[in-house]
Amino acid sequence: MNYYAGLDIGSTAIKVALVDEDGKLAGAHVAASGSLFYKNAKEAFETLLAKLGVERRDVRYMIATGYGRKLYKEADDSISEITANGIGAHEVGKAHGGVRTIINIGGQDSKAIQIDSHGGVTHFVMNDKCAAGTGRFLDVAARNLEIDLDELGDYHFAAVAAPLTINSTCTVFAESEIIGLLANGHGKGEIIAGIHHSIAKRTVRLAKKVGLEDRVYFDGGPALNRGLVAAIQEELGREMVVPKHPQTTTAFGAAILARSEFLAEEREFVADDA
Amino acid sequence: MNGPLKTTTPVAPVPAATIVTAKTEPLPFGRTKQAQEAERALNHIIDDFDDNPKAMHYFYDLFRRVYCRGESIAAAGIRIGTTCIHAPEELVYAMGATPVRLCNGSYHYDQIGADFMPAKSCSLVKATLGMLCSENPVPRVGKLDLVVNPTTCDQKKKASAMLQEMGHPVFDLELPNVKESEASRVYWRRSVRQFVEELRRVTGRKLTRRNLKAAMARTQRAEKAFRVLDGFRRASPSVFLGKDAFLVVNAYFFDELDRWCEAVEALNAELGERLEKAIRAAQKKAPRIVFTGSPPIFPNLKLPLLIERAGGVVVSDETCSANRMLYDMTAIDEWLLNDMVDSLADKYLKPCTCPIFTKNEDRRRRLLELVTKFSADGVVYQAFAGCQVYEMEQRSVAQTLNEKGVPMLYIETDYSPDDEGQLSTRVEAFLESIKTRKRNRA
Repeated sequence: MNYYAGLDIGSTAIKVALVDEDGKLAGAHVAASGSLFYKNAKEAFETLLAKLGVERRDVRYMIATGYGRKLYKEADDSISEITANGIGAHEVGKAHGGVRTIINIGGQDSKAIQIDSHGGVTHFVMNDKCAAGTGRFLDVAARNLEIDLDELGDYHFAAVAAPLTINSTCTVFAESEIIGLLANGHGKGEIIAGIHHSIAKRTVRLAKKVGLEDRVYFDGGPALNRGLVAAIQEELGREMVVPKHPQTTTAFGAAILARSEFLAEEREFVADDA
Repeated sequence: MNGPLKTTTPVAPVPAATIVTAKTEPLPFGRTKQAQEAERALNHIIDDFDDNPKAMHYFYDLFRRVYCRGESIAAAGIRIGTTCIHAPEELVYAMGATPVRLCNGSYHYDQIGADFMPAKSCSLVKATLGMLCSENPVPRVGKLDLVVNPTTCDQKKKASAMLQEMGHPVFDLELPNVKESEASRVYWRRSVRQFVEELRRVTGRKLTRRNLKAAMARTQRAEKAFRVLDGFRRASPSVFLGKDAFLVVNAYFFDELDRWCEAVEALNAELGERLEKAIRAAQKKAPRIVFTGSPPIFPNLKLPLLIERAGGVVVSDETCSANRMLYDMTAIDEWLLNDMVDSLADKYLKPCTCPIFTKNEDRRRRLLELVTKFSADGVVYQAFAGCQVYEMEQRSVAQTLNEKGVPMLYIETDYSPDDEGQLSTRVEAFLESIKTRKRNRA
């Protein structure tokens, strides 16, 4: 059986996805990026192969994406994570009646992407070089509050009072603002809900720049955080499609593209021969 | 300027005696930050692309000599620095002086110039100030007898007094805020006449019909050569890349006029041959881009290089460091000297598409014209962070292009190299979306 791989090397996590001959998702794996991008990406890929019992030679084509896409020389091709995200979200979104706007929050950036009915990117915007409103911001906040990242959602819903206002748009200043709120005796739940709303406001402003069209798809690591999802939906005033595995949409998109590029190359080869 | 280089990588221990001499002796020029920055940029421009036109080596060598080795380009006689394309260079040449455009593209000078301006200011203005406050600036333009500073954007206006404080004689060439009204036309004509007076004072020479005609003949040759070069960029598949086009016009800032014309004419001859032999500079399907906004100036060709390294081609531009500078030709057939000067003034006001003007429909019209003429697939809009007028015009330009179905990528950046990773993602995604669009249409 032939397989096609998508490898998304992000700033915080490495995501690998494998699709089979029919373009169906065979499996995916997420690992931390660490400081040795190349080594960790290679290991993540091998782990997934072992998990699925797939031989390396059966993977016929591989496309790398994400910030580290140029570093992975074994890949057959590379593509920007914006294009890959569009393709992946389009595919996953089919089960939900189709999606046209994507909100993606990653480790060091956030993006809003508009796609057409084929999954092609028509317009996109990214945040400026700044960690505010990204996964890194949540990371810093969780560390300040001495809780784990995956606990943020629970704390959000456990808040008894209204979400506090976090005014600082800079991650470093927000950090001191959080410390100040803690010192004033505010509860962690209210602070966390406040952080989520602050990120949600920034994200929605970004999404409005590309134009919101139904349906809105939300992915990237922070989409695992139920509290943040609720805050963005509240700011948006509408429901979003949040996939079961929000981290691997882009890797999945790259894998789908790997399959279609491989098939296109095969086709051309046959045509030349004839 | 050219201060001691901070070594970031550990080096082998040096004998104490060597360290003492290193402190007293000036640093070899090639090791200064400015020269290293230029060297890196030039290497990218040359080595990242195969099969550059042979005639481009004149320009590559010129930039290497001037920016990487610090060779002097000081012209003999009176030297007039300009900080903008609005200063009529024909008048300077006519009165026997040599103009040199001072707008600078170096991150090194941008950091030095940051002392003079608020935190979020235009890199170009900061770099120009940084260069002009240095004792021995690169390019080595020599002592300037006058700096002409057209009163364009707020930052350039306020730079005037700072330049004076640095000891440069400055002439503020007063530019109106609108270009359509008759009142501003009269105002601008008077400013240009005052400029002639100032030039007479500095050069001690008179402007005559004869020397103005001779000067216009010289600049016309340059404009003609540029137009021919520009024409080659309409070819599809492309025969000439935007990164080289920017470098060629950038050389016009400081190169000796006649020598520049010869070099461009030689380049045109070679491009003619290449077009005939169908030697391509890029792939047939390469997305064709019109570049607009804040001007790329060497060594800051960051964005055009990112576009072309990612497989796109910059087929045309609407910037004051290239197209806006040489595209509009001077063709004056007035009989009287005063009328000639007035017509020349008009040429410097009317066709200009700079966003400092209150209304600027011309810029949008021009962009649409370029997109059609050069069969472009999209527009990349660069705004230097802090250049308010370009930042503000982004909305109306995006809207106009959107109405015509032309995709546009807006990028806010500056001279620092630290956003290259982010920018390359955006540029690549933009080019990929153009390719997808074309494929779906086919």
